[in-house]
Amino acid sequence: MTASLLELNEVKKDYHIRRYGRVIRTSNALNKLTFNVEKGQIFGFLGPNGAGKTTTIKCITGILNCDNGTIYIDGKNIENNGFENKNKIGFLPEKVGLYGSLTAQETLKFYGGFYSLSDSIIEERGGELLDLLGLSHSLVKTVREYSLGMRKRLALATALLHEPEILILDEPTSGLDPRGVKALRTLLLDLNKKGLTIIFSSHILSEVQELCTDVGIINNGKMIRQGSISSIMKTVEKTAIKLSLRVNDFNEKNEKILNKNKYISILENKDLGKHRKIILKLKEDLIPWVTKKLVENGTKIFSIEPHNTTLEDVFLTETESENEA
Amino acid sequence: MKLKDKAIKQWKSNHTWQPLLIAVSVILIIAISHKVYWETTTETDPLSIWNKRLITEQNNETRIYYNNENLVDKTITFKGVLEIFPYTNESIGSPEESNGKFDEIDGLVYSEESYNKCMINLNGIRILVNGSLDGKFYENEIVTVEATLIERDFSYEKNSVDMALKSQIWEAEIDDIKLADEKDYYFFGIETIVFALGLYFSLKRISNLKEQIKFAKHIALFEFKRGLKTPRMIVLGLIFFVFIVGIGMLLGQLQNDSDSILGTMTTKGSIIQLSYFTFMIGSMVAIGVSVDTFHKERQENTMDLLLARPINRETIVLGKALGLTMVVGIPAFIAQLIGLYFMVTRGEMPPIGSMFAFLFFGQVMIFTMVTFQLCLAISARSGSSVVIYGLSAWLLFALVWALIVIAISTVIGVDINGEEFENDPDYQTFASRIGLLNPGVIYQMVVGLFTNRTIAVDLEGVPGWLALLSVVLWPIMCLRMATWLFKREMEG
Repeated sequence: MTASLLELNEVKKDYHIRRYGRVIRTSNALNKLTFNVEKGQIFGFLGPNGAGKTTTIKCITGILNCDNGTIYIDGKNIENNGFENKNKIGFLPEKVGLYGSLTAQETLKFYGGFYSLSDSIIEERGGELLDLLGLSHSLVKTVREYSLGMRKRLALATALLHEPEILILDEPTSGLDPRGVKALRTLLLDLNKKGLTIIFSSHILSEVQELCTDVGIINNGKMIRQGSISSIMKTVEKTAIKLSLRVNDFNEKNEKILNKNKYISILENKDLGKHRKIILKLKEDLIPWVTKKLVENGTKIFSIEPHNTTLEDVFLTETESENEA
Repeated sequence: MKLKDKAIKQWKSNHTWQPLLIAVSVILIIAISHKVYWETTTETDPLSIWNKRLITEQNNETRIYYNNENLVDKTITFKGVLEIFPYTNESIGSPEESNGKFDEIDGLVYSEESYNKCMINLNGIRILVNGSLDGKFYENEIVTVEATLIERDFSYEKNSVDMALKSQIWEAEIDDIKLADEKDYYFFGIETIVFALGLYFSLKRISNLKEQIKFAKHIALFEFKRGLKTPRMIVLGLIFFVFIVGIGMLLGQLQNDSDSILGTMTTKGSIIQLSYFTFMIGSMVAIGVSVDTFHKERQENTMDLLLARPINRETIVLGKALGLTMVVGIPAFIAQLIGLYFMVTRGEMPPIGSMFAFLFFGQVMIFTMVTFQLCLAISARSGSSVVIYGLSAWLLFALVWALIVIAISTVIGVDINGEEFENDPDYQTFASRIGLLNPGVIYQMVVGLFTNRTIAVDLEGVPGWLALLSVVLWPIMCLRMATWLFKREMEG
């Protein structure tokens, strides 16, 4: 038993490439992946392409079975409680595939048929969701006539129809216009306020930063960092912060001095005309040393300010260091 | 050790189906016991005894006797396929012509007494039956005959010389002949019960079985409604309808038209022919409708949304197979009924059992072809591959099967150069046995089987029970294979 709503323990998954039924190649997608999501969180799932995000999501939703390890939803192993657990999950895949010949209501009726929902409830709840997602004016159209954004919204409606406890979204904003993205963000926040736990993967880091309470960064099938956004940033900042300086008379000698110190790296050195902008990556306790050395060597410092760490910085730092390792 | 571990792992991974696997193993043991029972209680190779029969002629005496064994007055229970030669005026000629004639094979001299008896050929051995079998037994039925070897004396004339004949003849009374089905049904009954128990306990292990059945029905109805609306189904359905109704009318007509260039048809032959044409066009429609089911879904990414629902993979395959079967099967059933109606009204009515088999096993055949195509559709890597696989399967089963059988017959040494090689028992036996690999041939066999009163019938080398077992096993195997492939493909 576990207190987390979702818990993955050392999950391993390999893909097999087959020719004439024989496995000719195996590639590892998830390598002892471990993380957990608490009830009520909006959990952002980050990682570079091919890191294993979609595979993880497919394992959680039961589309794939993991080779090793365990996945618990609300303390119950999905291997033995697939039916119960799948009833708790709503899922929106990245590539939404719906049957083109159906209307929105027919689509909801088809997917709603896999839950203990009566036709009247599907109709009533489906109507509300279509209204909420801005599809109520397209009821007579078949899905084939829908735009990508409309299809995504309809697929989201099918994911929410049975009132799941966890909503899992794989790249939900891809293909949506800015208005659609904003509407989705508002909707997700509203749903989260009502108690829905949301897990979503996205490449748009600003969006994750804005929406999520917690994030997990995955690379090469392993979880390399997990926690609340603020705690992750603090950890990263402890290791290295960025400093933005506006200076004059910053010459080669100064550059050499800074480069000699292995804990300092110059990320940007740009002439702005009146001043020069230098962005340094360094340990926090080295700030006095840097200012002292620059002044001693004739550099005039006009301003020093910390360069705010973004989720993108965290993401890049973490995935780069993992790759280097 | 590694192999043992693998086997244990495989066994554990089949947790749900363990009772059924055990049941199948038990059935296998019962089937072996079944065979052993016949082998130990009857002589299942009458020809081996017949081959010991010798004929000698010495000093105006002909002797027919069995070498090496003192079989005289001994009773043996033979088991085999029945071939009847009724001793009537028509078959052996008028009394004036046939009386006093010696027949070496039958081992007797004809007399008026012979007209009240009949000679049977049981897998090669001749047995004289004291009485007429007319209306009691029919050709190709598998029977047991309790026969006794009797030594009889006859006299006949050869080249104007009086000859004595001392002949050992296998003789039996009508009551000594029994259909083998009584014991067969007993064994099959036990096998059916074991299978039902295995299935019951396996199904009990499926969690949320009730829901899964509901979901299978939900998917089946969805596929049915969707499939009926597709233009290709409308076209294929119309072709099917016109074809089967037309063939039904033609076959009915041919039963009464002795001058037709297409030849005449018997009532039994007509319904078997109608089954063939139903298979030919039905399998095409079944393949055509299900040709790209899973492949298209994978391409259009509709499968992920389905797999994320609380539904088993087995349920998805079953639901789709049932739905597609309904798409083809319901219009096919109507076309079959109308085709049958025209055949019966223009010709004669075939046995009720064969009409039932024609309709019922027609649906089973469509389900088999749908699931077979699902296996191909799941395995195929591209859309064109799916179409080519489907087309090849249809060509193989419906059109070129006979050519392949002839080709293989040549390779394994069956003489196909004779004018009527198709009536050669060796060829027929081979063709029938290899036909068990073709759902279309099995369908025809089963319809043929149901024109008889019993399953203890020999279908040109294949016993009726084997045809019946095959018609049940084919769809089950195809469904299992489709499920296994689907699970494997979905796992990546």
